[in-house]
Amino acid sequence: MSGSKPDILWSPHHPDLYVICDSELGLYRIGPVGGTETKPGTLSLSKETAATLLAINSDTPYMKCVAWYPKHEPECLLAVGQANGRVVLTSLGQNHNSTCKELVGKEFVPKHARQCNTLAWNPVDSNLLAAGLDKHRADFSVLIWDISSKFAPETSVAAEKIRLSFVDLDSSSVVTKPLYELGQNDACLSLCWLLRDPKLLLAGMHRNLAIFDLRNTSQKMFVNTKAIQGVTVDPHFHDRVASFFEGQVAIWDLRKFEKPVLTLTEQPKPLIKVAWCPTRTGLLATLTRDSNIIRLYDMQHTPTPIGDETEPTIIERSVQPCESQIGSFAWHPSSQNRMVVVSASNRVMTDFTVFERVSLAWSSTTSLTWACGRHLYDCVEDSTGGTEGAAETDIATKMRERAQSRYGHDTVQVWRNHLLAGGTDPQLKSLWFDLFYMKQCAEDQELKLQGNKQSVVYSGIKNIIKTSSGTTESRRCWSGSDRQADVPRFYSEERCLALRLCGWISRGPDINVETFLRSLEHEREWERAAAIALFNLDIRRAIQILNKGAMAENGDLNLNVVAMALSGYTDEKSSLWREMCSSLRLQLKNPYLCVMFAFLTSEAGAYDGVLYESSVAVRDRVAFACMFLGDAQLPRYIDKLTNDMKEAGNLEGILLTGLTKDGVDLMESYVDRTADVQTASFCMLKGSPGEVLKDPRVQCWIENYRNLLDAWRFWHKRAEFDILRGKMDPSSKPLAQVFVSCNFCGKSISYSCSAIPHQGRGFSQYGVSGSPTKSKVTSCPGCRKPLPRCALCLMNMGTPVSGCSGTGKSDEKVDLTRENKLAQFKNWFTWCHNCRHGGHAGHMLSWFRDHTECPVSACTCKCMQLDTTGNLVPADSS
Amino acid sequence: MYEQPTGGAAFPVPKTMDLHILDHRLRVTSISKNGLVSYTHPLIKLIFLRNRTRCKFFSLTETPENYTVVLDEEGFKELQPSEHLQVESSVWLPLNVVSNGSVSSSSQAVGVTKIAKSVIAPLAQQHVSVFMLSTYQTDFILVREKDLSVVISTLEEEFNIYKEVEGESVPVHCQDVSNGLQKNGKEALQPTVHPVLIPQNQFCVMSLDPDTLPSIATTLIDVLFYSNSPKEDSQLSANQDLDCIQFFSFSLIDGYISLVMDTEAQRRFPADLLFTSSSGELWRMVRIGGQPLGFDECGIVAQISQPLAEGDISAYYISTFSFDHALVPEEDIVSVTDMLHHQRKEAAAS
Repeated sequence: MSGSKPDILWSPHHPDLYVICDSELGLYRIGPVGGTETKPGTLSLSKETAATLLAINSDTPYMKCVAWYPKHEPECLLAVGQANGRVVLTSLGQNHNSTCKELVGKEFVPKHARQCNTLAWNPVDSNLLAAGLDKHRADFSVLIWDISSKFAPETSVAAEKIRLSFVDLDSSSVVTKPLYELGQNDACLSLCWLLRDPKLLLAGMHRNLAIFDLRNTSQKMFVNTKAIQGVTVDPHFHDRVASFFEGQVAIWDLRKFEKPVLTLTEQPKPLIKVAWCPTRTGLLATLTRDSNIIRLYDMQHTPTPIGDETEPTIIERSVQPCESQIGSFAWHPSSQNRMVVVSASNRVMTDFTVFERVSLAWSSTTSLTWACGRHLYDCVEDSTGGTEGAAETDIATKMRERAQSRYGHDTVQVWRNHLLAGGTDPQLKSLWFDLFYMKQCAEDQELKLQGNKQSVVYSGIKNIIKTSSGTTESRRCWSGSDRQADVPRFYSEERCLALRLCGWISRGPDINVETFLRSLEHEREWERAAAIALFNLDIRRAIQILNKGAMAENGDLNLNVVAMALSGYTDEKSSLWREMCSSLRLQLKNPYLCVMFAFLTSEAGAYDGVLYESSVAVRDRVAFACMFLGDAQLPRYIDKLTNDMKEAGNLEGILLTGLTKDGVDLMESYVDRTADVQTASFCMLKGSPGEVLKDPRVQCWIENYRNLLDAWRFWHKRAEFDILRGKMDPSSKPLAQVFVSCNFCGKSISYSCSAIPHQGRGFSQYGVSGSPTKSKVTSCPGCRKPLPRCALCLMNMGTPVSGCSGTGKSDEKVDLTRENKLAQFKNWFTWCHNCRHGGHAGHMLSWFRDHTECPVSACTCKCMQLDTTGNLVPADSS
Repeated sequence: MYEQPTGGAAFPVPKTMDLHILDHRLRVTSISKNGLVSYTHPLIKLIFLRNRTRCKFFSLTETPENYTVVLDEEGFKELQPSEHLQVESSVWLPLNVVSNGSVSSSSQAVGVTKIAKSVIAPLAQQHVSVFMLSTYQTDFILVREKDLSVVISTLEEEFNIYKEVEGESVPVHCQDVSNGLQKNGKEALQPTVHPVLIPQNQFCVMSLDPDTLPSIATTLIDVLFYSNSPKEDSQLSANQDLDCIQFFSFSLIDGYISLVMDTEAQRRFPADLLFTSSSGELWRMVRIGGQPLGFDECGIVAQISQPLAEGDISAYYISTFSFDHALVPEEDIVSVTDMLHHQRKEAAAS
């Protein structure tokens, strides 16, 4: 600390006072810039703070070390260690305290003069001041002075011996008798009192670290090491100590003092200061000579470095508080992560706060949490907020809700899935109806065609139309009218199938839309029903539907007007009706009303007004096209529409693409747009198993959806999903990976089943019903030795079901009631992988509900705590 | 890890002392008074410019005969051979005794006295020649490298012996060193009793903060290199009679400075920079040897230190190229003188 090496000390009790010591002591007050005291002498420390010099003390030359009195009063009392080994008490600024006046100027003189290297006040008994001195042949190097002691009586005797003029002792204030003398014939380079016991003093001696116990000074605990400089105890973890040697810092655990628990990467230059952050656990700052950076070591994640073999991880980073080379630094005692840095050369000071690393975590739902320093920020989207509840429209929230409502699991009334999804999304509605109709047709085809056309159903209308042959053209009359309509209609088996897939007609050879119309009427889709009636050339039915709609409760009376307009239909090419309708129809808001007039006013074969009306459902447009477009036009139209759907990722297009590669393409752009892997997964599992499921994109969606379910802790849902998936795609079923083997013969207990895993699995093999096996399962089927006993009920393990339930088929379980399933699980084997104790799963579950330790009396294994997921509760109740 | 201060608990008889074989290989040289002029350059470098040299062990002692320089091999490279430089041919290793723990021994005496019985006497019996160098901080016992195995086997009973290798202390046992234990044969002759000289000057043993070395540089250079120059003060030169001896020792070992000088020289230094014991004790010198002692004779140190130990009198001991010098407390000089006279009479009688 001579001239060139300044140091900084914060006041232990005043967060705004600090001392810089180099050749003299300077007391500074730190405050906000432009505060009340804007004196010319104010030094700017940062953008916000400035320091004012309050006092200077240059009474003590040859300062080697300084320590600030730890108690509140007297407040600015400092102990200064000098080059000749004397320790002087001094103060800064005015101090009216009487005890302070008594103490200031007091000197503590060692028997043999040599450099004082370090000073440390006892944090509890603040009268004790430990001084570490250089080596002397016969003297002690660690002296503990009692500052309250009166001058020693020996001094008067000693004074007689003083013949050397420079030892002018002012005997009234000089103490020569230390309270304790430790470390004979050794040098002491650094000292600190241990926080875990204020009677213990840790000293960095010449080539060893020693812990002296004031209660028994003849004993010491020591460890040989070179890292003996700058010993300092972690204020947050009282057994952790840092010390250094040249460029290397060693971290010690006092409970395991034989060797450092870790050493930090060696720096090329020698270290000059190492300090634990007082406001943040496990943060160590180090400074090397001639450097303008401070290195920080974050041991945050290793609060207990005793953890057996785990090498503690340390995050190292550097901060550069100022441009110039740093002379010293000091952590602020209370302000978080703040330090003041003083430059090596010209006493330029910088106020600096180390910014914390920000760690961020998404929750599996919509909230987000991040931490910075001691602050934890939780960001939850405001569901009642003004932006229409962005959280509710978020796909993750939707998928979560849909998963809870068993979306995708209705395998019979497939169309109902759109209701499970909330029933508000028209695309989903269309998708699930498509899949429903496909399923219906497929089942129907199976009956009718013995399955040879089954795959066609799922290949989409686009492919069905391509195979079309033998199209017949017919001109039909307007029903209820004798006028010949000049509208050609096309008919073929494939077109008929397409209409069925569109949902317009049900099975049978006739094109009868009446059932469909009734269901539309039932759902009050008057306009759509009217349009479809019209497209089936039944203008009366259309008018009737519109009338019905107008009459219905809350009906739109305008429908009557439309019906009137419709009734005036004429096929006169140049009639006023035609002219007005073709222009005024565009003003109709309802697309179906609009396309009705477009159809009536179009030339045969030129139905662009209908076909390209994008507000009309794809299924209706496709059905219309199948009826009214010729073999040349139809594939072109379908192709174009398919491409549009694929590009837009519109699920209505699944009707066209089916569950083919085209369909996966379409679904891909849908997922890209919406991230709805849930719908994508379920949709792809509805089709016929085959190439589609092997598509890596499909596998990716499925895996992601399973991960999502796991992240939400919807483990039961995931199990259900896996069961569903296993039915559709048996290759996805994992093979049994865990077998219970006998302790005696080592053979699998479920040997009889696992030996022939791929052949016919008769019920009896699973021991469900067969009584012959039942008698054997409490013993190993291989060697007949008994199975281990359950630690709780002390019965031998094994029940008919438990023996093989690991490989049990899901089909069997479907038939079991909920209670049965639980009972089955209760009888399973389970055991701790650590202590190897265990028993019936049910018994274990109930034991660990109240205990953390193993139920075996002599075993102290904390089995449940070892299970990282055992304490998690599934978020889905079922 | 709480250990008895005795160290190795495994030993049946606790050893209270550690002996460290320090990691320095030393040469003992002498520069003649006339030849000093050609060595001032390297000496100033070794004393003042610590960061320009890798020398870790340096001691310079001025006696009326010559300048004795003890330094490690790094420092030795700085000294150009010439007719003015005499070099003892062996490599010497410094030993250092550390009392292990804080057993307060009954003896208050310090210095060679403390190790007289445990180290000096046994080594003398084994005919190991030692070269002593006491400093403010500690006592160094220099032994020849070739004698090391004898030293270890001799002192092993009494000490835990450690060899310092690159800063680490490594325990040493007899079997670690060469098995061919060579005894320094020669049947014990009755050792020569050397004449002694007791000059009148009072000496002090002091130290200095190495950081403040520059501020006393001019005085130090003056004292070290110009002591023979004619002084302005005729009073002082008149005092240079046979009763006083010219003796000044400076050492810089492992960063620690030690100074031994008489009160005359001490007065020329600024009062507040040098430090010494608070009691400010003064020392008188006993110079051993009527003619240059050489390096082969054994038992010289033992001769002096043993009676001092019996009388429990502290002593420093500084060997130089020609003679040995013991420093004893001023108040004990009478009894020491008596004792030495008695010893000489006995020797003469036998």
